[in-house]
Amino acid sequence: MTSGNLFFKLVRQDCRRRMWCPVLIFIAYFLGMEVHLLMELGKYLKEEQFQRAALYVTDYFFGCEASLISIVTCGAAFLCGISGYAYLHAKTQLDMYHSLPASRTQLFWAKYVSGILQFFIPFVVHTLICAGIAASRDIFTTKAAFAMLYYIALQLVVFVLAYGVTVLAVMLTGNIIISILGTGVLFSYSTILSVLYWLLAERFFQTCVIYENRVDAWFSDSERIWCFSPLSMLIRLFITPYNTTMEAAQKFYKYDAGYVWILAAAAIVYSLAAYFIYLKRASEAAGSAIAFRVAEPVIKPMIVIPAAFFAALFFAELSADTASDGWFLFGLIFSFVIFSVAMEIIFRLNLRSAFMHKKQFLFNAACTALLFVVLRYDVIGFDTYVPSDAQLQSCAISVHALMPLSQNIQVSPYGVHFLNPDEYRMANMAVQGNQSVMELARKAAKEQIAYQYFDYYEGIEEDPVYIATLDRQAHYQAISFGYHLLDGETVYRKYYIDMADADTVRLLSDIFADPMYKIGCTPLFNENWDIAFDAVRCENNYRVKELRLTPDMQSNLIQTYQREYLDLSLDTVMHVIPVGTLDFIIKNGHARTSYSGEMLVYPQFEQTIALLRTYGFDMNEKLTADDVKEIRVQKTSEEEAVEYTDKEEIQQILDNIVNDGYSWQIGSFTDYSDKDYIVKVIYHTQDSVSSYYCFVKGQVPDFVKISKKNN
Amino acid sequence: MIKAANVKKFFGEIMAVNDVTVTINNGEVFGLIGTNGAGKSTFLRMVSGVLKPDSGTILVDDRPVYENPTVKADIFYISDDQYFLSNATPMDMADFYQDYYTSFDKVRFGELLGVFQLKPDRRIHTFSKGMKKQLSVLLGICANTKYLLCDETFDGLDPVMRQAVKSVFAGELAGRDFTPVIASHNLRELEDICDCVGILHQGGVLMQKDIEEMKLSIHNIQCVFQNAQDEQAALARLELVRVERRGTLNIITARGQAQEIMRTIHSFSPIFAEILPLTLEEIFISETEVVGYDIRKLIF
Repeated sequence: MTSGNLFFKLVRQDCRRRMWCPVLIFIAYFLGMEVHLLMELGKYLKEEQFQRAALYVTDYFFGCEASLISIVTCGAAFLCGISGYAYLHAKTQLDMYHSLPASRTQLFWAKYVSGILQFFIPFVVHTLICAGIAASRDIFTTKAAFAMLYYIALQLVVFVLAYGVTVLAVMLTGNIIISILGTGVLFSYSTILSVLYWLLAERFFQTCVIYENRVDAWFSDSERIWCFSPLSMLIRLFITPYNTTMEAAQKFYKYDAGYVWILAAAAIVYSLAAYFIYLKRASEAAGSAIAFRVAEPVIKPMIVIPAAFFAALFFAELSADTASDGWFLFGLIFSFVIFSVAMEIIFRLNLRSAFMHKKQFLFNAACTALLFVVLRYDVIGFDTYVPSDAQLQSCAISVHALMPLSQNIQVSPYGVHFLNPDEYRMANMAVQGNQSVMELARKAAKEQIAYQYFDYYEGIEEDPVYIATLDRQAHYQAISFGYHLLDGETVYRKYYIDMADADTVRLLSDIFADPMYKIGCTPLFNENWDIAFDAVRCENNYRVKELRLTPDMQSNLIQTYQREYLDLSLDTVMHVIPVGTLDFIIKNGHARTSYSGEMLVYPQFEQTIALLRTYGFDMNEKLTADDVKEIRVQKTSEEEAVEYTDKEEIQQILDNIVNDGYSWQIGSFTDYSDKDYIVKVIYHTQDSVSSYYCFVKGQVPDFVKISKKNN
Repeated sequence: MIKAANVKKFFGEIMAVNDVTVTINNGEVFGLIGTNGAGKSTFLRMVSGVLKPDSGTILVDDRPVYENPTVKADIFYISDDQYFLSNATPMDMADFYQDYYTSFDKVRFGELLGVFQLKPDRRIHTFSKGMKKQLSVLLGICANTKYLLCDETFDGLDPVMRQAVKSVFAGELAGRDFTPVIASHNLRELEDICDCVGILHQGGVLMQKDIEEMKLSIHNIQCVFQNAQDEQAALARLELVRVERRGTLNIITARGQAQEIMRTIHSFSPIFAEILPLTLEEIFISETEVVGYDIRKLIF
């Protein structure tokens, strides 16, 4: 008999012997594919939305929902991997298989191929059935057919990746339970390290920053932790990357096709590693916890140290004072001992071996203690780190609330993606050659040490230290830096700067005057102008109106606004009251997407205001007492308001109030509204935008001040 | 021929096989005797290619066996706890082995199942321990390999079935090039089937002997001499293994040809002298006592 014949016989034999495996996989895919597809299609077809149903099949079912079915695929890989090579853990089975006249190479690859077939055949059958379901409803397009082929290829890659890791775990262990645990560890180790890195950084480093939408950074931080585990890779594949341009956001629900090649390469590497380890694996390893004792001193610290730190974080979080070191240290020491002992017991499968390797225990304890000291006392200088000018290529700066930006991007008919302003700026800004940037960074890093954080607890408001600190830090503002280094790495830091400090304001003014800063702040200044907005939402002190402009008119407006905004100084922002806002809107059915956020218009923007007037909106509109039926002024400390119906009084009030509805975004930099009064204006007509206003600071009419109720 | 030279095998810090050197000739039934933990199973697992020796060599027909499918095609290994595929029937197992062993005789397997009254379509997990042992032997026989390695295979077989298996072995030995290696902790099980026996103790081979040769070269004689001088002179001329005295009766175990020993004794005109039959057990007891072991504690 030739080796080739034997190989195919072995594959067929293994498939027959493990028939339960493809049956289980078949059922799982049936629920995950046909049932799911029919349920989803039912929603669209019931309302005769054939186009959306076709879109669902192409872009979702065979598109972004590949992430969901990948969970089933990973489960199938786990099942096939464990069941296929479980004989290595049972001495009786292993004696039989290894005494048979077949080489280990044949045995390994026969099982390997058999495992893949046990997944692939049921999966392809289900995929074709799903395609048939779509075709029977006339919603299976050519594009869907290509999407389906890509979907099959992608799931095959995901399977082989997860399968390779599972088989590798089986090869490295000698016991089924340890194999399952080992698979879990190998499958997610880099993810666990990534999460642990960020949790520890957030706890110990005040300047650590991670952006809201960067799920991938939490779980697969390729810049700091090598994404070698399948879970990290899959998260990177399926989760939106943190680049937050409009164009990238539109791809929010699309996976990164190019990254599939990395997955495929990793799948091959894991599978080959499993094969070579199988060749080296001694048969007598069956039944013992790990197959290679030599790996024991490496595996133990790799498991025990991260596990101890996770447990320490857990204990600290459970405690009343989460910031205290006491419970963290208790959790660290307690868990370290427990995990160390557990590892020894698992490795030896013997309770008496709990403290068998004292030297290893002490070494791991020393490593854990060292890591704690490094973190706790910031030995690496994380919080004080500022790159030198020679290391820096460019820098991104985002000052919280200084320039409004609110991007709720409609990424598909099904969803809106919110882009965090800081995140947008870190990804899109590149300020170069401005000395004030690094000077402010160094100042911020230095002053950060003096900034004090408080963990909230009941009664904190009465704590004198808290009150004093709050008072001292009243003018602090958050500022984020993204240091784009020459070596390609980007380092993010978040500080608090004191806006009451003249030097800080001077540096920030320099930065604000830099066109690179403003261009990087908002997509309205740096994106491609081919975008056709459906409307321009204009708001002034009293009114809101949506203008429908031609593309030329839009372009003219944006260029005019951009020109004037680039000349805007920080001093103007801090001291001049805006006259209104502009917002560029994209509509999709009932959904509205604010592309730009509400961009402030200042009185100095004369050309913009003039242009808007020609388009039919007066930013400087003034209302008269005739437009108003009644005004109610309420002191914030009182419960009841004073009503004013006298025309003269109404006019006086109208002349001294400002709509802070649109300027709240920069409120922490300005000080022009009187917070002591709330002014409610009741109009004769219903088309006015806002009925709540504030008095301009220092301009509260005397008759309001001397009013009975307001005194 | 299986040749093991200076084979050592460690399991962690435990030495399972210690410097074993054994030669198993073709066509002979080789018995491997030893207590539990003596290293029999480990040795057989190395011979069958399951384990790799830490040092030393194991050659089967002058070729190394480990990771050598060509050599392993000549070997069928029956472990002490033979594994059968889950839910399999005897015929399923025959199909399974047929994929690996090209000369597997499925027709004969069917016939032998009938002889041993094992149902071909009954699930093996419903079989008794003895039935499983029988089945594994039948699978090994029908694989038609040159070497059949049986680890404790005769344990659990009732005397009738043991005899039946022995007769199957005898048929195979007569009909083809067949070399069974049978490991057991009980010498009595093997004495009527083995041609050659090796005793393993604490991982090492205590001795290896051809049984016929042993039987011919060691004898038990009981005799009574006329006086003490004759007795001393006669015993001095014999190659003694052991002497036991019960009054004037001497029970002598001595090496050498029976006729030569009797001639020596008769030259002193004993009152009475006769050769007693010697069991294999007694031969081993005698042989191993000489080298300082109480074999009764080891293998009986």
